[in-house]
Amino acid sequence: MSRLVILTLGLAVCFFYLPIVVLGIFSFNAASTMAFPLSGFTLSWYADLFGNEAFLGGFVTSFLIAQPVGLLGALIGLMAALAVTSPRMRLRAAFAILVLVPFLVPKTVLSIAQAMLMSWVGLGRGATALILAQTLVVIPFTTTILAAVMVRLDPRLEEAARDLGATPWQSFRRVLLPQLSVALSAAYSIGVILSLADLTISMFLAGRTQPLSLIVASEFRRELKPDLNAMQVAVLVLTALIVALTEINRRRRLRGQLAHVRDDL
Amino acid sequence: MASVFHRAQLAVPVACILILGCVLPLAVLVVFSVFEVDLDAFTLVPAFSGQSWVQMFTNPVFAFLIGKAVVSGAGTAVLAGFIGYPIAVSMTRLPVLWKGVGSIVLLTPLYTGEIVRIYAWRVVLGSEGLVNAALKWFGVIDEPLKFLLFSPFTTHLVLLYNNLPFMVLAIWISAELIDKRLIEAARDLGARPIDAFFKVILPLTTPGLAVGVFTVFALAAGDMMTPSLLGGTSGATPMAMIDNLFGTAFDWPLASALSLSLLVILFAFATGFVTILLRFDGARAVFRRGTL
Repeated sequence: MSRLVILTLGLAVCFFYLPIVVLGIFSFNAASTMAFPLSGFTLSWYADLFGNEAFLGGFVTSFLIAQPVGLLGALIGLMAALAVTSPRMRLRAAFAILVLVPFLVPKTVLSIAQAMLMSWVGLGRGATALILAQTLVVIPFTTTILAAVMVRLDPRLEEAARDLGATPWQSFRRVLLPQLSVALSAAYSIGVILSLADLTISMFLAGRTQPLSLIVASEFRRELKPDLNAMQVAVLVLTALIVALTEINRRRRLRGQLAHVRDDL
Repeated sequence: MASVFHRAQLAVPVACILILGCVLPLAVLVVFSVFEVDLDAFTLVPAFSGQSWVQMFTNPVFAFLIGKAVVSGAGTAVLAGFIGYPIAVSMTRLPVLWKGVGSIVLLTPLYTGEIVRIYAWRVVLGSEGLVNAALKWFGVIDEPLKFLLFSPFTTHLVLLYNNLPFMVLAIWISAELIDKRLIEAARDLGARPIDAFFKVILPLTTPGLAVGVFTVFALAAGDMMTPSLLGGTSGATPMAMIDNLFGTAFDWPLASALSLSLLVILFAFATGFVTILLRFDGARAVFRRGTL
């Protein structure tokens, strides 16, 4: 690696992580205004956070909404990826574009269109609407993750299973699914993370449900306080934890597979 | 029965979900845009009226807002292209074991919520924030720089921050697909590194660049929260206007007409950019060989 490569990547990492690091620093700073120079170390903002019932309630709501979004997103993404990578798929390009629609249409426009249609036909907004709308936005991500893994799989394994008399379901269950478990957990994690991070869809479809991002956004418009910092750091740590666990899981599986291969040799 | 079912058929339920959940609501906008509003009863009255479209085309504020979104999105896409390119090419030079780490480091900032990012940038760029404090410390300035926050500069810096990972990812993937022997061959035949870059790497990564430009343009032009929470007086967007017409003004027909116009124009520009980029020889070579 040349010095230029290291310099470029170093600068990129600084740019990407600068705001996150600054948030972290101020969440431990003993002053109620966020200004330099720093005034000393404190954990009181975190203590405030755990005493704040609105935040805790919002967090539980967000967490409960994120679970079905992750599961449904992974399931529908799995179906879409199976279809789009199938050699027999017709209209592949049209289907791929359809899958990307929720990603490419501005979220505000999509959410407002959904809200208008729902209230026109008399459906109420709320947790269910929010879960379904977030799932739609997650589908492009989960499909891409799963399809990227599927195209790299050896199709001969599935053919062999079918030649040996396995039904499509059996070959899927016994041959394909085990190879996809890591990608599926990654897809689920992305769904959960995107749901926790969402603000725009919640603004229009949450109804009376109050996820954390909405509570934070309304606080944000009023004033910046360090307990918000602490809360953002807590959310970030949780996100990083999900990412790290997914990655550790991937590596462990990979090592397990390698060990298997070694034993077989 | 067993041979009748095939996994390609799974496309049918998925397509139904997406059509019902996304395409239908957008298509119904066409219907809503010709309805009328009864402001006394606060209801939408089915009608066949061109009123909202007349407003759409005669009031210059709508064209101005859409134009602003296009310029903003295109500017962000070009910036992201120039800044993302060296990052993506550098990532291809990482040792194999570091590539996984590289992709996590690249993607993690994407997972932070919009509100977290906006909030963090306010702390960085505020008049007592990191940048102003550092500049003061070094004696570069006496008074905090005001343009850092709540200005078009802020909006575009954060739009770039939000979307740069997508650009890097798209270029990185297409750069990894290049057959390394092509670069070696060019070097063996006497090409300087700079020539090898312009004659081999750059042309063969244009499909990735095109995907990146399309994505970043669509996302940046469609972002409402960043301009409205960080752009100050310059933060008006067509999306915020649609939100306003939908929520406060209860003018659903006009909100629908504006949404449709915005979608059509954004899509036209995005495809335009991609078509221009894919006209380069390198992109055609990539598609002919079927590596993408």
